[in-house]
Amino acid sequence: MSEDVIFSPLAWRNLQVKNRLFRSNISGRFDNEDGSLTQTRINWECQFARGGVGAIISSFVPVQMEGRIIAGYATIHRDDFIPLWQRLGEAVHRFDCKYILQLSHSGRQMDLPGVHNQHRRSLSSTDHQEPLHGFLCRAMSEHEIERTVQAFADGAWRAREAGLDGVELHAANGYLFTQFLSSAINDRRDRYGGSLANRARFLLEVIRAIRQRVGPDFHLQVKISAVDHNDILPWERKGNTLAESLQVCRWVETAGADALHVSVGSLFPHPLNPPGDFAFDTIASTYDAMLSAGTNTFRNYLLFRYSSLRWIFRWLWSRHQRGHAVEGVSLDEARAVRQAVGVPVISTGGYQRASLVREAIASGACDAVSSARALIANPDLPKQWQAGQDAPTRPCTFCNKCLLNAPKNPLGCYELSRFDGDHERMIATLMSIYDTRPELRLPPVPPAQNP
Amino acid sequence: MRSQEPPVTAVQQEARRRCWRRLPLSLLALAVVLAGLLALAIGVPTLWRYSGESVRHYADPETHFMHGSIGSEVSGLPVRLWRVLPDLFPDAFDDQHYEAFGFLYAPGDEARRGDLPIGLGTREVRGVDVAWFNCALCHVGTVRESSDAAPRQIAGMPSNNLDLYGFIGFLLEIADDPRLAPDSVLAAMDDQGQRLGMIERQVWRYAVLPRVREGLLENRATLAPLLAEQPPWGPGRVDTFNPYKLLQFGMDVAELDASERIGTSDFPAIFHQRPRQGMDLHWDGNNASLQERNLSAAIGAGVTEESVDHAGIERVADWLLDLEPPPSPYRPDPDAVAAGKPLYMRHCADCHGYQQGERYVFEGERLGQVLPNDLLGVDPARLDSYTETLQRYQLTLFEDDERYRFRHFRKTDGYANLPLDGLWLRAPYLHNGAVPTLHDLLLPPAERPQAFVRGLDMLDEEKGGFVAPDCTPGEPLPEGFCFDTSQPGNGRQGHAYGTELTAQERSDLLDYLLTF
Repeated sequence: MSEDVIFSPLAWRNLQVKNRLFRSNISGRFDNEDGSLTQTRINWECQFARGGVGAIISSFVPVQMEGRIIAGYATIHRDDFIPLWQRLGEAVHRFDCKYILQLSHSGRQMDLPGVHNQHRRSLSSTDHQEPLHGFLCRAMSEHEIERTVQAFADGAWRAREAGLDGVELHAANGYLFTQFLSSAINDRRDRYGGSLANRARFLLEVIRAIRQRVGPDFHLQVKISAVDHNDILPWERKGNTLAESLQVCRWVETAGADALHVSVGSLFPHPLNPPGDFAFDTIASTYDAMLSAGTNTFRNYLLFRYSSLRWIFRWLWSRHQRGHAVEGVSLDEARAVRQAVGVPVISTGGYQRASLVREAIASGACDAVSSARALIANPDLPKQWQAGQDAPTRPCTFCNKCLLNAPKNPLGCYELSRFDGDHERMIATLMSIYDTRPELRLPPVPPAQNP
Repeated sequence: MRSQEPPVTAVQQEARRRCWRRLPLSLLALAVVLAGLLALAIGVPTLWRYSGESVRHYADPETHFMHGSIGSEVSGLPVRLWRVLPDLFPDAFDDQHYEAFGFLYAPGDEARRGDLPIGLGTREVRGVDVAWFNCALCHVGTVRESSDAAPRQIAGMPSNNLDLYGFIGFLLEIADDPRLAPDSVLAAMDDQGQRLGMIERQVWRYAVLPRVREGLLENRATLAPLLAEQPPWGPGRVDTFNPYKLLQFGMDVAELDASERIGTSDFPAIFHQRPRQGMDLHWDGNNASLQERNLSAAIGAGVTEESVDHAGIERVADWLLDLEPPPSPYRPDPDAVAAGKPLYMRHCADCHGYQQGERYVFEGERLGQVLPNDLLGVDPARLDSYTETLQRYQLTLFEDDERYRFRHFRKTDGYANLPLDGLWLRAPYLHNGAVPTLHDLLLPPAERPQAFVRGLDMLDEEKGGFVAPDCTPGEPLPEGFCFDTSQPGNGRQGHAYGTELTAQERSDLLDYLLTF
């Protein structure tokens, strides 16, 4: 098995990884409201490290509180969080697993704004609200852009200070970087809008700022949507093409990125990211948590809630999925990126079968793959592959219930069939990461004041 | 006042901002919705109220005959208007009600209470009660046996009182009268205590009354030139087919030949229809089908192919099949009657059947057949008024319905020999009512009265018929109408049968005829 390409180590410019399977970025509301991470987060990440993945790309980690997707995700906006991330890094490293912090900013794609953000419009490249949920936003001023660029650089510095193995800029799937990059979203008339070069300016400035802050020897990769497919709602424009994205990738490489992580879709979730089913009953039970977050959420809730209306959303969703495989959904795009750049490429997209991963890597489409849902279902997927299995015994069904539960419930696998219909066992599995016994500290008592 | 809580989220803030921004549009939409709801709330009941039609059903067939509908209301006037016309035009009504034109009121009915006269059927058409002629209009009359006796109404006899010419002329006259303006009519309704709701008042003001006036003006344009050419019909008479040509078939007076423009004749009696089945019906015998004759008469009363109420007409027709005239009140000398009967049987029975005691015998070799007017020699105007052109038009009626399609109309060359049942009620005599009494009918035409009073209902026991004193045309009369036999269509000539008998024979024959 030592000759298995999946388990052949990677030795990139600033990162060495023991195998080719990365845990793709996925989060869960495990952390504190102030952005500090918890033992649960450490437990969550360690289950994948223990399972044998070569590297973990963290949860979506905002570099500013105003860039949170969902309150309850750990952030990297404060220096005093460095020891917490350091602890997480130590925990993961014990399993010979690398930890790459995904530096992120939600922009207008803010699902649950929380007390920090609910009172204000989120920052974006545009004043136009997000079309699917109706998340409100306003176009960032140049000063705000400058401040945000610095926040990314500071975030990268904190990651390095925490002893983590690298950072990834989340420039895919509709978040702030996409909002600048996409021709369908960015309607600015300043030097950050208009031409592709202008639209890419914010991302490239962040890369350069990070390099300036952390130096050239710290791993920096960029996750990018190779094609926007922005027209989920038929009246929206399609957004960036593959050719435009390839050009961005070349600029990213030139600016100093060490690797590229290839996805598709200019919003999240998207029919092609993550691909698979759309569990209406699940989202009807969780989407209510988002009702106050957007101007279109109630409309969507009705479309999800009432079976007589579901055909509308099903039609919108499924028309983009036709002709696309679930596993390796964006492999072709990754191949194109890899041919366009000289840095390594990671392809994301529901990889669960070892044979497909081997073929992807062997064919030169990518250097590594990342997967999240398949690993949530089977955190020991690498070990199963290593044991010679092509696919796990109880594979991920790509039902997407894990994702659709995320706004309201703990992250994990909700596909009851994988637990033989045993609800208790499913809950026990979901709760396993909470099985913590932290030392509880007693808050200090102020000295009594003399009357 | 409680202050509004500041918005917690940006979405709430945006929602409030949009709310204010959209306020004018929202108010407009609200106004539109409210207006729509109001329109629905008013419109639906109003549409319901002013759509469809309903007709009153009378349990008793005779009441149905008197007041029931045959479907002529499409040509009619609203009931509320019928009630106020006498108040609006007191000069035309001589401060009376419709009796001024010879209409009759059923016993117990009172015009003052808003009851309509006999001969008007009512139907609610699109929410408005409309009344117009039915069969009884022309076929209910009165008789009095003495000047101080109360008139006795008899269904089935000719409407000897009805001045249809006068009434139609009145309606055409008021078509453009200012008193028919909505303000005036509505005020008259208010004075009568007729209650109109707010919406109904507007409907009347802007729809019902203007349409009534429009209809009257249209009819005036159509009929007035014809009526202007005709001598006044006088009570108990009608021109059956000429108005029919103009109203039903859209012909113009100018299209009518001069010889056909006057077809005025008496209203016939309509007793004993069953034995008449198969006889040549109408004065000129132009149709041998009772059903077609009935339907054609209904059309003459204002029924159209669309509005016809076949069930209503057939109910009347069924009731008439065996309707008997009341027995003659005359008590002539039995010996004279016995002497007169053979004379009748010899000279008259072939054509007219005969009376046998209380029963009329509908037998006769030529009974119910058309006798050429070359032989009969009576006034030809009525015969000439029915033309082959009209026949062709009539045969197009009810083309789409095999049950009612006209097939039997024909142009004849004379007048039909009619049964003489109920003869005592059928004066004046001949088809055009040109001879006031049976006595006069047995006189040579030249000796028959040249001008006499029609419209009186007192029986003339001596002469057989109604009292009909001589008169001078053009001179005012205390009552009745001076019928001038020298006018076109009014000729008293012809039917000289019996005139050659001796005076005694004629007297005996008359006594026998008085038993009919």
